[in-house]
Amino acid sequence: MASYNFKSITVVPPAKELIDIILSKTQRKTPTIIHKHYQISRIRSFYMRKVKFTESNLNEKLTGILAEFPKIEDIHPFYADLMNILYDKDHYKLALGQINMAKHLIGNVAKDYNRLLKFGDSLYRCKQLKRAALGRMCTIMKRQNSSLLYLEQVRQHLGRLPSIDPNTRTLLLFGFPNVGKSSFVNNITRANVEVQPYAFTTKSLYVGHTDYQYLRWQVIDTPGILDKPLEDRNTIEMQAITALAHLRACVVCVLDISEQCGYSLQQQCDLFNNIKPLFANKPLIVALNKIDARRPEDLSQPEKDLLEQTFKKDANVLVIPMSTLTKEGVSEVQNTACDALLAHRIEQKMAGNKVDNILNRLHVAVPKASQEIRQPHIPEGVLAQRAAGYTKPDTIRKLERDLEEELGDDYILDLKKHYDLPNPDDKYDDIPEVWQGHNIADFVDPDIVQKLEELEKEEAMLEEAGVYESEDENLTEEQMEIREKAGLIRKEKAIIRHKHRLNKHRNRTPMSERVIRKKQGVKRARSVSTVAGDVAMEVDSKFQTKKIKPGRDVSGLRDEKQVKAVRILKKRSQIKMNQFGRAGEADRHIAAKLPKHLFSGKRGAGKTQRR
Amino acid sequence: MALRTQFQNSSEIGVFVKLTNSYCLVPIAECEAFYSVFEGELSDFIKVIHTTIGGCRVVGTLCVGNKNGLLVPNSTTDKELQHLRNSLPDSVKIARVEERLSALGNVVACNDYVALVHPDLDRETEEVLADTLGVEVFRQTLADQVLVGSYSCLTNQGGMVHPKTPIEDQDELSSLLQLPLVAGTVNRGSGAIGSGMVVNDWIAFCGRDTTATEISLIESIFKLSDKGPNNINQMRSVLVESMTS
Repeated sequence: MASYNFKSITVVPPAKELIDIILSKTQRKTPTIIHKHYQISRIRSFYMRKVKFTESNLNEKLTGILAEFPKIEDIHPFYADLMNILYDKDHYKLALGQINMAKHLIGNVAKDYNRLLKFGDSLYRCKQLKRAALGRMCTIMKRQNSSLLYLEQVRQHLGRLPSIDPNTRTLLLFGFPNVGKSSFVNNITRANVEVQPYAFTTKSLYVGHTDYQYLRWQVIDTPGILDKPLEDRNTIEMQAITALAHLRACVVCVLDISEQCGYSLQQQCDLFNNIKPLFANKPLIVALNKIDARRPEDLSQPEKDLLEQTFKKDANVLVIPMSTLTKEGVSEVQNTACDALLAHRIEQKMAGNKVDNILNRLHVAVPKASQEIRQPHIPEGVLAQRAAGYTKPDTIRKLERDLEEELGDDYILDLKKHYDLPNPDDKYDDIPEVWQGHNIADFVDPDIVQKLEELEKEEAMLEEAGVYESEDENLTEEQMEIREKAGLIRKEKAIIRHKHRLNKHRNRTPMSERVIRKKQGVKRARSVSTVAGDVAMEVDSKFQTKKIKPGRDVSGLRDEKQVKAVRILKKRSQIKMNQFGRAGEADRHIAAKLPKHLFSGKRGAGKTQRR
Repeated sequence: MALRTQFQNSSEIGVFVKLTNSYCLVPIAECEAFYSVFEGELSDFIKVIHTTIGGCRVVGTLCVGNKNGLLVPNSTTDKELQHLRNSLPDSVKIARVEERLSALGNVVACNDYVALVHPDLDRETEEVLADTLGVEVFRQTLADQVLVGSYSCLTNQGGMVHPKTPIEDQDELSSLLQLPLVAGTVNRGSGAIGSGMVVNDWIAFCGRDTTATEISLIESIFKLSDKGPNNINQMRSVLVESMTS
């Protein structure tokens, strides 16, 4: 659904200001320095850019204006008519049309002058062409000044229009001036419409909102209307007529039966009859206002007949007396009006297919009665409270929130406060329940004392039985001597071993890894020969003599000649690598794509590619 | 009675709170304002307990419970479990279940007698559920949604289901659960009812965005005010008006 919020239209500046904005933007956002000795193509593009930039900026501004103002054809007929009345549809369309025209003209100017600039042969000529182009654009804009001023006024007025939603539930008031429409609106909403004891206090539409039956209702206060032909009505009255004609609302027709407004009941009934065609297909409530001044019972017989004749013919019209001063009957009027409109709207919706989608949500599925009755669990306290009717408790409980606010930064949430433990002292027990990720309860053995006692008993029994008594004491003399000697030998051996270790690396020249390996190899070979003895002599020699392998550069080649040829080929293949300082065949490194010293700086004469 | 509240600017309060007839679990937050809403309304009658489940605040989503018991997911730490045990009344049984669908609040909707569960819930979990909470378990979907816990809300007095549930399904479920049911919304048209509100047999808390019509529907179906479910038929025109534009 389209939203009718005209408050967000941007300001339309007057022509002079617009020109200032555009030109200063051109000055700020395009390059400003040019010299006559520059290449002519550069000079041309410099000025062409300025012309194009100005044109595109103007275009953007004007397009913005055209897009933001509502198109009369696209908006709800209520708003279309209202705009027609308030701003004159023709004028409005003309203004927007002229802006559109100006946009095209400016586009053409820019195109023409850019074409001319292509043939500008000096800086001076180009500059003059640019000046002419900008000048013409500004002139076009200056001519639109009146349109722009008008649009700005329209914008300001549109922004202040009440935001009436034409599609929602609406109560629409209607009646002669000064019959109490605005005071009715003030009574049921918080709109705060001005109420004064003279006619035409309300000069435009006002909107207020009220609640009824969980729904939000829009109440529209209209200016009073006089009984005259449509073409004689002024702008103020026409607004009310527009609202009556286009809004699908419940119309509340307010009549002043005390005739304090200065119009007789007869006149008011005549107006009602004349306007009647506008009420077709709308619920209608007639509110007889100012019953504080004159009760409906006090009406004279002809007046009663008149009312009877005007309103009672139609069964759909409800006549309700009310007084906006004493508020008597005001809410009755509101409720009746809302109910009537709701019923009307529901009827229309039921006729359409909108309700089909939500039928399942209107259905209450009730189970068939069963033998088992499942009771709800509501605490006694709640039931007692309900029975007493929710009264405020005498003592207000201190909530955690209050505590938190009182203590400020010192507040710490106490999780243990409400623990439900058999022994209340356990709430703040020093021994934690979970310690370093271990649940202490897992490690607690409830029978630990009993088990300890059992163990102690067993231990005592074992001790008594003499299990722990040692048998070492009764050794013979000989055995003792052997033990002593063995101890001495062990000690001596340990000393020797230690000494040897200390001397192991003394007086040895440092050797490289390779030498050590070689020596070890020889040693191993020798050791093999000594161990195996004479029998293995032949095998031995095989181990000792090492065959010299040919170098990798000559391996696999047939003879000296081929080696030579290969060497030449190798050298040749390396020429390029060496020339470019490559590390090898695979080196594809590029140190700098554009070496700065080769590609920058002014050059007096000569080529740009390479110097 | 139904109240509007919000948790740290989120109206999805069913995600954060678990409310039953014998206790209420509220997350630990930076500020106590949210807790105190529940504390003020409930602590005269039932326990209102600060807790996290596995270090998360989404308590309502992660656990499921009723008057008789509480089921928490495997992610619950020993410390949290101990805290819950210490805080809850002894009549409430607690069980920690090893369940693949660990957001138990999303997959189970229950009152004190019956439970609707996700069709893929583990057999063992179903048994634990029936034992701990003392409920009859039904595997169901709601309006083709498997997350029955998110899309419905049940109490002993009534139930609300996803707004797209067809009438036939509502009738079937209603006779299955022995509860009056209605398809509705919370939080200005959200179908995630279990996530948007918490309710027990005498009080409901809805998200801040819930409209007056939604509140009145909630009060009627859960019998929170004097008017029972019959009121819904009287509000029919208001409902039509508010649901169609």
